[in-house]
Amino acid sequence: MSTPTISQESKAHYIVQEPLTLTGWFRNVFGAIKSVTTGMGITFKYIYGVKPVSIEYPEVREVLPENSRSRLFNDVENCISCLQCANACPVDCIYITAVKRGADAPKIKTKDGTPIRLDLVQYTIDTALCCYCGLCTTVCPTECLTHTTDYEFASYTIGDMKYDYLAPDIRAWRHRIVK
Amino acid sequence: MSSSPKHIKDENEDTLTPAARPREAMKSELLTLNMGPQHPATHGVLRVEIKTDSEVVAEATPYLGYLHRCMEKHSENVDYRGVIPFVDRMDYLAAINMEWGYVLAVEKMLGVEVPKRAEYLRVIVGELQRVASHLMFFGTYAIDLGAFSPFLYAFQDREQILRLFEELSGARLLYNYFWIGGVWNDATDSQLKRIEEFCDTMDENLKKYHSLVGENSIFIGRTANVGIMDTQMCLDFGATGPVLRGSGFARDLRKAKPYSLYSELDFDIITGTGAKGTLGDCWDRYDVRMREMHESLKIIRQCLAGIEAGPVMGKVKKIIKLPEGEIFMSTECPRGELGYHIVSDGAAKPYRVKVKSSCFTHVGMLPEVAPGLLIADFVATIGSIDIVLGEVDR
Repeated sequence: MSTPTISQESKAHYIVQEPLTLTGWFRNVFGAIKSVTTGMGITFKYIYGVKPVSIEYPEVREVLPENSRSRLFNDVENCISCLQCANACPVDCIYITAVKRGADAPKIKTKDGTPIRLDLVQYTIDTALCCYCGLCTTVCPTECLTHTTDYEFASYTIGDMKYDYLAPDIRAWRHRIVK
Repeated sequence: MSSSPKHIKDENEDTLTPAARPREAMKSELLTLNMGPQHPATHGVLRVEIKTDSEVVAEATPYLGYLHRCMEKHSENVDYRGVIPFVDRMDYLAAINMEWGYVLAVEKMLGVEVPKRAEYLRVIVGELQRVASHLMFFGTYAIDLGAFSPFLYAFQDREQILRLFEELSGARLLYNYFWIGGVWNDATDSQLKRIEEFCDTMDENLKKYHSLVGENSIFIGRTANVGIMDTQMCLDFGATGPVLRGSGFARDLRKAKPYSLYSELDFDIITGTGAKGTLGDCWDRYDVRMREMHESLKIIRQCLAGIEAGPVMGKVKKIIKLPEGEIFMSTECPRGELGYHIVSDGAAKPYRVKVKSSCFTHVGMLPEVAPGLLIADFVATIGSIDIVLGEVDR
């Protein structure tokens, strides 16, 4: 392979600058002084005139807006296992297993009166896969699957990001989250 | 960097005829330098292999694909609503404008009527996103050229826009706010009032930022007469957006092929003037973006005056099935024209979604502009075309 060299026409991109005249020199000096004074003027205004906007994170925590889309929470008490959330999910991170309720089992209903015909066996969301688009929460007919405003849920292993919403410790979030 | 270049002609050598000059002494090797993929000046993961002759770039070859996420292929496996989160992630700095083109294309094929209030909200949010995106350009471009504080000023204003978007849509960057048939959430009166107040402060701030950066003699020295992309070159490559307008060619899809409400709104197409150097240089592209923000604020004010109460979602079926056929729809995004080509075979999933990205075209112009630039000027040129690699690689 031959080594490329600079061709003559590529140098045509250079603009030949006019030689510096005495007036040009003074104009440059004036321009430099003007730029520095305007720049510094704005900077000094920020030192004393503007109050700081940074939030000192661990000490001060920002309250997220109501409909902020953060960690998902499924209130399994009201879930009818309709699979609509799993179908709507663009990254397929919701895993649901449900079995049919026996005919002689007591009839239960959700909070808004929808009869529950399937028993939920597994409701797991892989939060590490989730893209927080919010499509699953909007299709939920009983509004049991919601985005919460929790945003501090880092974990040590990726397996910990799989939330089994039937587990008692995650069910306990309900008292904190569901109003 | 290597020592002084041997092959550059010395003044004294000019007396020799070309035949008399020793040919071996004229030859010199070029140094290959990899810029990126983790280089802060490439705004993402762009790798540019440059062959340098001391401080001068002889050749530049961009290599793409470091942020390729199979967006187009993945779109074929999700339903029409599920594509919106994916198009969000293309240009993550202007996600609203990415959604807009896709949503318009699907709506046009479905024949859905979008409510008036939703259209107003779309224009307001889309133009706010344009301001946010240009502010990001302003901040990062100043960092490219060695000034740090403008970045912080720009982020302070951008933060207000993002906070508003978070209240409206629930997310800070990847909104999923535009839905097929309308928008997700309605804005309250207090939020609209906040936008109006923001427009007023932003107008003042933009003038201040321009005097801080755009009129600064160091900034002018770094950008004027650097990386010139003239109109002919832009048209040859198919450049759009601020790059084309910076070369003095007035083309804006919002005027040329008005979509949404743009035909009713009053605004100007901003073109480069060549005030500080040659027409089409880095300073012109910077200037076009700064003045475009004023136009965006003007559009937002008109929309806030005209917005009326009403629903924000049109009637759309639960399962969206497009009729068989294809459509191409392009919109004016902050970085240029973005086109969606959607092919449907009548199923609930798209058969093919092809995205025509403007940034991809602009990256292609780099090898043409680069020869003869200094390395530092090359960085200034990459910054001035304002690329987002998510959109280039998709």
